Amino acid sequence: MTRRRWLVHLIYRALVYRRGRTLLLLSVLAMASSLATALGLVSYSMERRVAEEVRKYGANLVLVPEAAHLDVGSGGLNFGVVSEPSYLRQDQVESALAAGGIKAERSFHLRGALQWKNLDLMVEGVNFADIRRLFPWWQLKGGWPGASEAVVGSDLATRLKIAPGSALELSAPAGPMTLRVSGVVSTGGEEDNLLFLALPELQKALGLPGELSQVRLMVTAGGGALKRDASSLKKLLPAARVSEVRQTARTSEGLLAKVKLLMLLVTVVVLVSAGCSVAGTMSATVLERSKEIGLMKAMGGTRLGVMSIFCGEAAMLGLVGGGAGYILGTAIAQFITETVFSASAEFVPWFAGVSFSVSLFLALAGSLGPMTSVFTLDPVRSLRGE
Amino acid sequence: MPSIIETSQLTRNYGEICALKPLDLKVPEGEWLSVMGHSGSGKSTFMNLVGGLDRPSGGELMVGGENLLALSEDGLARFRREFVGIIFQQHHLVPYLTAVENVMMAQYFHSVPDESEAITALQRVGLGHRLKNRPGELSGGEQQRVCIARAIINSPKLLLGDEPTGNLDHKSTLMVMELLKELRAEVRFTVIMVTHNQEVAAWGDRTIYLDDGVLVREERVGQR
Amino acid sequence: MTSMAVRLMPHLLAWGAMLLLLARGCAGRRGTVAAAAGAGFIGGIVAAPAAARLLGTDASFDTAKIVLGAAFLVYCAVAVAALYGSGRSSAANWGERLTCSAPVAAAGAFFTGVAGGAVCGFRSLSGSVTTVCAAAAAGLLLLPLMLLVERRLPAAFVVSPASLVSGITSLLLFTSSSLLRLDLFSPLTMKVMKFSHDFVHQFFESMLIPDHLFFTARLWGFVGVLFSNAVGFWGALVVWLAPALLVICAVALEPLPAVAHLREGARRRKTIAAAIRAKRQRLAVPLLALAVFSCAVYQSKFPAVEYWDPKPIQVSASPAGEIFIPKKGEVDLEDGKLHKFLFKKGGTEARFFIVMTPAGGLTVVLDACSICKPDGYGQTEGTVICYYCKTLIPLDTVGRPGGCNPVPLPCALKADGVHIDGVTLVNRWVDTVQATARVGGEGK
Repeated sequence: MTRRRWLVHLIYRALVYRRGRTLLLLSVLAMASSLATALGLVSYSMERRVAEEVRKYGANLVLVPEAAHLDVGSGGLNFGVVSEPSYLRQDQVESALAAGGIKAERSFHLRGALQWKNLDLMVEGVNFADIRRLFPWWQLKGGWPGASEAVVGSDLATRLKIAPGSALELSAPAGPMTLRVSGVVSTGGEEDNLLFLALPELQKALGLPGELSQVRLMVTAGGGALKRDASSLKKLLPAARVSEVRQTARTSEGLLAKVKLLMLLVTVVVLVSAGCSVAGTMSATVLERSKEIGLMKAMGGTRLGVMSIFCGEAAMLGLVGGGAGYILGTAIAQFITETVFSASAEFVPWFAGVSFSVSLFLALAGSLGPMTSVFTLDPVRSLRGE
Repeated sequence: MPSIIETSQLTRNYGEICALKPLDLKVPEGEWLSVMGHSGSGKSTFMNLVGGLDRPSGGELMVGGENLLALSEDGLARFRREFVGIIFQQHHLVPYLTAVENVMMAQYFHSVPDESEAITALQRVGLGHRLKNRPGELSGGEQQRVCIARAIINSPKLLLGDEPTGNLDHKSTLMVMELLKELRAEVRFTVIMVTHNQEVAAWGDRTIYLDDGVLVREERVGQR
Repeated sequence: MTSMAVRLMPHLLAWGAMLLLLARGCAGRRGTVAAAAGAGFIGGIVAAPAAARLLGTDASFDTAKIVLGAAFLVYCAVAVAALYGSGRSSAANWGERLTCSAPVAAAGAFFTGVAGGAVCGFRSLSGSVTTVCAAAAAGLLLLPLMLLVERRLPAAFVVSPASLVSGITSLLLFTSSSLLRLDLFSPLTMKVMKFSHDFVHQFFESMLIPDHLFFTARLWGFVGVLFSNAVGFWGALVVWLAPALLVICAVALEPLPAVAHLREGARRRKTIAAAIRAKRQRLAVPLLALAVFSCAVYQSKFPAVEYWDPKPIQVSASPAGEIFIPKKGEVDLEDGKLHKFLFKKGGTEARFFIVMTPAGGLTVVLDACSICKPDGYGQTEGTVICYYCKTLIPLDTVGRPGGCNPVPLPCALKADGVHIDGVTLVNRWVDTVQATARVGGEGK
C-alpha cells in the first residue's frame, strides 16, 4: 500500500468515526457553497433572459408627430395640453414601415374629443384586432365592438355611469353620431379614461381622414434590432418623433437587481457564519484529538506530516461539501427563477468549479487556527494529560 | 560494551521548577534499565528527554551516537521514528483504526505501510486472532500488546516504557513482561522502563532511583 | 531596442534553462560542457544572420527547420530506447557512459549551443549588429551564472540522460515555435491532415466504396470528420507529445529495488521508500518537458505575432459594373502592406485585397484560396498567412495560382489605379467559396 492511499484511508476512517460532526460540517459547507452557486446561476441565466423577455412584452417603439406636446416615455400617455394638434399621415407611416423592412406588430391611434351631453369626452380611434395583440393585458367586460359600437374605459364608465348596452349620443365636427357601448375595458393605465371606437369611424367623425396621432410598434427582436429600426424610422419619417418605451424593461431589471442584492446579502451572512462554524467545530475536534496528535508526533511524525493529515480531512470535507453544494445550488437557482421570473435556469456545468472553490476555501480557511495548534502541539503535554 | 545513552549534566527546568537536576548517566547497549521513583521525581521527564520528545534545558545528551541537542524539530522526529519505540500507560491507540492499522500507522510515519509485516508482528505478540478488532474491543493486556507490536515494528534500538503495566492486572502484567523479555532476547534492543512497581522493576538488569530530579540510588538486579 | 530585448528574453531564459540541465546532467564534465555550449551559442548567433544574408531568408529558415526536425527525430529514438531499456541496468549504464564521456557530452552541448544561438539569431534578424552582440553577450553571461545556480540547486533535482535530452529538445522547440517560420507544429498538423486525407481517399478508392450499398449518408458524415482540421491537430499533438510521454513512462515503469534479502522489515521499507522518493525526483524533468512541449503547441496555435489585417473597405461599382480603386486615395496601395476591400452585390459579399509584391507590381487577389474555407489572410514579415490552414505564402508568390495561394483576379492596372470588373469578381468569389464549402472527398 502506498503512502498516499494510506493517507486517504486514514482520512476516511477519521471522518467516518465522528459521523455526526462530519455530517454537520458537510451540511454547513454544502449550504454555504449552494447559496453562492445559486446566486451565481441566477445572475448568470437571468440577466440575459430578462433582457429578452422585456423586449417581447408590450410595445417598445412609439411614433408621435414632431410638433405634438404629448409626453411619451414611461407608461401611458399623459394628457398634456395640446396647443396645436398635429397628425401623422397613415399612408406615409405604412409606406415608411414597409420601406424600412421593419417587422413589427403595429397599432394606429387617433385621439380626439367628442361632445356628449355638454361634456367633452376624450375618444381614441383604434383597430381592435391590433389592440388585442399588442395589449393583451386589457380586460374586457362585455363584447368587442362591431360597426357603430364603442368600448368605454372603466374609470370613465364609473364616473359617467355608462353601462354596457347603453347608447351614447355624441356630437362630432362631422355631425352627430350614435354609438352603442358594447363593453367596459379596464387597462390598468390612463386609457381607462377614454372611449374607444374603430379608427376609420373616428377619422370620419373628426373630419381627419387618414390621420393618426400616434403609432405604437412592438419590434420583436433583440436590443440591437430595436435601435436599428428606431434610427431607420427616424430617417424615413422626418415628421415623426421615435421613442422607446422602457417601462417594463426598467421594472424587470430592477426586480432582478433587487433579487441579486438580497441573495448576495444572504450569501455573505451564510458564508461568514459557515466559516465561524467550521472554525469552531475544527477547534473542538483538535482539542478532543490532542492525545492522538501527540501520539502521532511521538511515533515520529513530522509537524508538517501530522498537520497534512488534518488538512487532508478539511480538504476532503470541502470537496464533498462542494459537490453537494453544487447540486443543491442548482436546485435553489431553479426554484428562485421559477417563482420569481417564471423561467428556468440554465444548467451550467462549470459552476461546479465555483461551488468547489467556495467550499474548499471555507473548509481550509476555517481550519487555519486549528491547524496552527496542531502544528505547534507539544506531545509531552498532550500525552501526559489524563 | 559501548554506551547507547550518555548524559552529562543533563537538566530540565520548567520555568522556576527544576524537574531534573544535573544528571550523569551511562547506559550500555542492550541493558534493561528500570527507573523508579514516586510521582514528580522526574522519571517521566528523563524518559521524554532520552526519547527525543522533549528538549533538555542544559547539559549534553548523546543517544545512539547522535547529539540530541543539535537536532532540529524534524531531525528529532526522524530520530524518534527510526531509533525509538515508546509504550505508554494509557496505550494511546487510535480508536478508529483496527489493530493492524494501528501498527501500520507507525510504518506510515517511518516509510511505507506494509500490511503483511504488521500482521506478522501482531502474530508474534500473540494477537493473530484479533487483527481486525478496534481498540475498544480489546482487553487491557491485548491493547498493550498491540502497543508493543507498534513500538518495535520499525526495529528501534531503544524501547521506552512509561509505566506500561500501570493499568493492567497481575496476569496481564506478567504476560507483557514475559513478551518483552522474549523480544529483547531476539532482537537485543535497550529497554528503559519507568515504573513505581518493585516487581516490574525487578525484571530489569539495573534499577536507578530518582527523587526530586536527583539520582539517589543505583542497584544491580540479578537476571530473572 | 527595448522591444527587441523583450522579444529575446524568453529565448535567453530558455537558453539558461538548457545550460542548467546540461550542467546537472553531465555532472562530471561541467567545464567542458559549459565551454562547448558557449562556443556553440556564439557560433549559432553569428551564423544565423550571416546565413540569412548569404543564402536568403527562405533557405536559411528551411535549413534550420530541417535541423530542428532531425533533432526531434533523434529525441524520438532516445525516448524509444529509454522505454525499451527501462529496468535493464545496461541501458542506464549506456546513457550514463555517454553523458560522462567528454567528446559525446561536448558534442551534444555544442549542438545545443548552436541551436539555441541560431534561434536567438533568427529572432534578432530585424535588429542591428549591436542587438546581436548584446544577445551574444547576454547568452555568454548566463554561463557562469547558471553554473553557480546549479551548485545551489538541491541534490534532489536529478537529471537522467533521457530526461536531459527530453528537456533540451522541449526547450529548443519551445523557443523555435515562437518564431513563425521556425515553428514545426503547424507544418506537422498540415502533414498529418494531408496524410489522413490521402490515406482515406486511397482506401475508399481501392475498395470501390462509393458504389458500396451499405454506406449511408450518415456514415459519410463520420468519414467527413477524417478530412477536418481537427484530425490534423489531434494527430499532430499525439506525434508531438509521444516522445515526452515515452520518457515519462520509461522513468515511471522502472522497477523498485529487490529487498527480499533484507531480514529487517524496517530496513526493507526504508529502502523501498527511498527508491520511491528517488523515482519521483527523476520524474520532475520529464514532466516539465511535457509541459514545455504543450506550451510550444499553444504558442504555435496562438502566436504572439500581430497580423496586419485591416478592416475591409467597402467599394461600389460604377453603373458600368467596374470597380475603381485609386493608387493613392483612401489608402496608399503601394506601401507594401495589403489592403482589403469588400464588394457587395445582391446578397454576396466578395472580399479581395491588393498588395505590392517585392518585385514592385501590384497584385489583386481574392481573400480566399481554392482549398480552404474563406477565413481570409493576414500579413506579417514579408509573407501572408492563410488563417484557416496557417500556411505561409511568401509575398512574391502572391498572384500566382495554385495551392493555398489566394485566387488571383484579373484586373487592369493603370497609372491612376486598379480597375476590376464587378461581375468577374463576384463570379470568381462565388465559385471559390462554393468549391471550398463542399467537404473534400467523394462528396456523396
